[in-house]
Amino acid sequence: MLDSRPSLPAEILVAVLDFLPVSDLMRVAQCSWRMREMVYDDTRWVARLKSMGCWNEIEARRRFDEARRRKREALDKSKAASKQPASDPPSHTASKPEDTTIFDASVEADRQKRLSATIPVDGFETMTLETAHPNDPPKDPRDVLEVFKNVRSIRGYARQEYGKIYGALAPFYYDLARAQSHTDPIVFQAFRDPEQQAQMLANLHVFARSDWAQGWMLREEKLSTMSGIFESAVLREFEQGYEFWDVDGRMRRYAHVLHELNGGHAVVELFIHKHPLFGDHEVIAANSVDCLNRAVSGGITLDPSRIFFEMLLRKVNEQAAIIERIFPRPEAPFWEFVNKVREDIIMEYTTSLFDAAHERSLESYLKAVSGLFEQSLLFFGSLVPPESSAVDIEAKSKEMTMRVFEPHIDLYLQEEIDFFTRHADAEVGTWEKRLSEQDASVESFYMSNFNRQADKTDFLSSFKKVVMMPVSVLPSFPMGGSSSTAAATKPAASSSPNGSGANTLAQPSRSEGPGLGGSMDGRRSPLPDKAPTDELAAKAALMASRLEGIKSLFSIEVALNLVHAAQASLGRVAQFIKLGGQCGEEAREQCEAIFVVLLRILGTKHVQPGFEKAVAHLSQYNPREVSHHDQSGVAPLVQFIELVNVGDLISQMIEVFYEQQLAGPKIADKNDFLDPAGLAKKKWEQMLDESVAAGLNKGIDVLMDEVEYLQGSTQLPTDYHPELESTNGSANGNGNGNGNGNGIVGTGGGFSAAGIVADPGPTATATRIVELVSSHTRMLVGTTEKTMLDVFNGEVGLRLFTAVCKHLKRQRVSTAGAIKLIADMNLYFEYIRTLRNPDLLAYFKALRELSQIYLIEPRHAKEMATVIADGDRFGGVFRAEEVYEYAQRRADWYQVKNRVERAMYGLECSLM
Amino acid sequence: MADAKPAPKIWVQSNDSAIIELDRQVAERSVLIKNLIEDIGDEGITAQNPIPIPNVNEAVLRKVVEWCEHHRNDPPQTQDDDNDARKKTTEIEEWDQKFMQVDQEMLFEIILASNYLDIKPLLDVGCKTVANMIKGKSPEEIRKTFNITNDFTPEEEEQIRRENEWAEDR
Repeated sequence: MLDSRPSLPAEILVAVLDFLPVSDLMRVAQCSWRMREMVYDDTRWVARLKSMGCWNEIEARRRFDEARRRKREALDKSKAASKQPASDPPSHTASKPEDTTIFDASVEADRQKRLSATIPVDGFETMTLETAHPNDPPKDPRDVLEVFKNVRSIRGYARQEYGKIYGALAPFYYDLARAQSHTDPIVFQAFRDPEQQAQMLANLHVFARSDWAQGWMLREEKLSTMSGIFESAVLREFEQGYEFWDVDGRMRRYAHVLHELNGGHAVVELFIHKHPLFGDHEVIAANSVDCLNRAVSGGITLDPSRIFFEMLLRKVNEQAAIIERIFPRPEAPFWEFVNKVREDIIMEYTTSLFDAAHERSLESYLKAVSGLFEQSLLFFGSLVPPESSAVDIEAKSKEMTMRVFEPHIDLYLQEEIDFFTRHADAEVGTWEKRLSEQDASVESFYMSNFNRQADKTDFLSSFKKVVMMPVSVLPSFPMGGSSSTAAATKPAASSSPNGSGANTLAQPSRSEGPGLGGSMDGRRSPLPDKAPTDELAAKAALMASRLEGIKSLFSIEVALNLVHAAQASLGRVAQFIKLGGQCGEEAREQCEAIFVVLLRILGTKHVQPGFEKAVAHLSQYNPREVSHHDQSGVAPLVQFIELVNVGDLISQMIEVFYEQQLAGPKIADKNDFLDPAGLAKKKWEQMLDESVAAGLNKGIDVLMDEVEYLQGSTQLPTDYHPELESTNGSANGNGNGNGNGNGIVGTGGGFSAAGIVADPGPTATATRIVELVSSHTRMLVGTTEKTMLDVFNGEVGLRLFTAVCKHLKRQRVSTAGAIKLIADMNLYFEYIRTLRNPDLLAYFKALRELSQIYLIEPRHAKEMATVIADGDRFGGVFRAEEVYEYAQRRADWYQVKNRVERAMYGLECSLM
Repeated sequence: MADAKPAPKIWVQSNDSAIIELDRQVAERSVLIKNLIEDIGDEGITAQNPIPIPNVNEAVLRKVVEWCEHHRNDPPQTQDDDNDARKKTTEIEEWDQKFMQVDQEMLFEIILASNYLDIKPLLDVGCKTVANMIKGKSPEEIRKTFNITNDFTPEEEEQIRRENEWAEDR
């Protein structure tokens, strides 16, 4: 640095050094102290080790910490006799500091140093210097082959460690890079064994990664070419072995060689590509369309596919054993093999089956997809991988099945829901058609007073049983099991998702099913052709026969059929949920969609029109036009209420279905208020409630019409005025006796004569009205919500009240007739009391009180006035003026009017 | 923007007061100048008010500008110049090789200037050229080339040689 020539700063020199090959680096190190520091810098060598994947930072840290600890101990021990230069390295000469650093880095490192000092100098020296004719000492090749295994990560010694590797491999590496043909490189001369050659080549590949001096690309390319030549040679050997099926000999050996070289992908590929299984005549002969051809009348049977899968499973598992014998890490080749089997054999099989089934009939397509899905899931699940390895067979089988069905699943889900929608539509359609043909005019809907509640519970409990039964979409797929359907259902059920608890419960009911179902002949046919539904079918028939009257509006059978169809579809789709991931999610959504469609069709297309029709019937009802009123009910109202009953039953059915099929297996989230299934259910319930409410509204009108009609047509004028026959037209000419004290006209004579009435009980009209109303309100008990029932009852009571009031205003009541009136009112009151509605009770109490004003003798006009004016007596229901109005309905009003008014307004008069 | 106007210009001044005009795009090969322009805006730089390059003389600066002109359309270098970037080391392209055929003093000056101006590709080319100069030389020759004083005793030097015998060429 004496002259003025510019010298480069350290950071640039470091950059320059990065571009230098190792040999030149070491010569630079000899130039000066400063240069040596730069070259020896540990990070430079750590980087190279890292590039080869030989540096373990954790190990390095551990060693470093250990070394520090030991150093501290050593320091403590030999403090007094300290010749240690550790405290002050820079003050020493060049060679000493190095010694100290080595010494500092602990005893182990010291040993390490000796190692690195001996082996490279002695062992490798011969290698490096005598490359022309390598004269291998017996232990050398081993060290060279295993060089990477002996590398340790020690801070401060990265250069030495790298040196070991470099010393071992660099000669071969550079020689190979210079070689002209594949026979030249000494690698192939030094190592005769193909195993060793492969390992050396693999080592050189790793080593090449640490070479980043100029020209590395060429060198690496050369290396790759050489490896390629070597690989293809080995592959040829393997292939020859393959042809002779020399599993444990050549195949095994060369597979291991190639694995050593580069993981052996090529050999795996070759193995799979040329595997005899893909040309196996048995496999090829398997014709998936058999499933369709062998089935009776356009259906589908999955037995052939089951046999196919069994055969395939047997063969693949055989191959697994062979793969294990050939390959050093059999797992990857095995799965690759399975993958190929899936791609070439299973996919082809399923696709052709699906296509054919799709062409023939949609239903068998749907069955085929879900059936094969389960079969293939089972197939992949029962594979026996070579080692009990880390691979989760379940996850793997899901993944494989997933890939098989990926191309089909979208179409399938779409078809499934379409199929269900169409089926449901058709079901409702045919029902309607049948109905219109049947001529719905003649109906005999007499209400048998059976125990509705109990029947419904009974029906629902058997429905629940059926719903909980697993949907056995296919006979099942027991590997090597018998093919008979009956025997096979059990294992299938145990593996099927919703069969868990319900299975044992439903088993007995199924066994008794056929007997019961046989007796219930015709009812069986519309239901899915399955044994366990028979009990339910019987019950349904029982219900249906009792509810014959409302058949014309909607049918529980249809609802049941729809629910069953939905269950079948749902069961098929639900299988795919197991897959998880996007497809599982899609399948889940589709399940919900099926449920939504079910509700939509059942609701808007079936139940709602039924209700509308019933309501229309109701509103058309005119009591005057109906000839016979001897029945205890208003026909359309009875019908309607019965309808409400059925609607409620269907609703409960849906509820059970939702709980068991959707909420149970976690298809729909009950707590998610945005869940489509939940929303649809709410909508359905709302629709039902609205329909019921609208119908009830109309029903009340009709009921009241009937009440009024009864009042108008059956109440005789003499009921409340028995004297009428004798004293006709007696009360005239008394109209203008205002404020006149002596207004009492002596009608007493005639009055008292007819006063005694033989029958003190209520009139026939009142009895009939109460009967009518109570029978209808009773019918609703247990069908709808309590609150709605309360509202209904309240409304009925209130309307009854107004009707009675209105009726009363049209009557003339004599003192003698008052007894009858009071009896009537008592009857009403008693009835209202059964409704347990305190508000209503007040009204009728008031009515009862009111009726008493007719009982007062005309001479007690003053008391009458007090009663009229006494608002408390009527509980605030009637105001004085209203009571006054009612008082006018007294037969003798004009006789008492003056006196009553005087008594009422007397105080006022006196003030004036 | 560059298409619309005639290419915007930048002026730089060497330490011996020579003012050089160059396209802005060319100047931006230097990360230093690029950042500077971004900071103060190119309105502030005129022929009268050039960017001073204090420790580079005219000859070197012209040489650097020449390199930048030639490489004006190179894709901008990536930021991740770590170990991986080293692995990407490629041969010096022919033009650069010719360009670097200068005396050693100039070579070092160019390296220093590119380091200062932060022109990484040029710096790399320079370093590679230097590395090529070192290749195959004995320690003594290297010392001579780089003007390094030997502060080892012959024994020490021999020890280092022996220590690293594994790395020697065959």
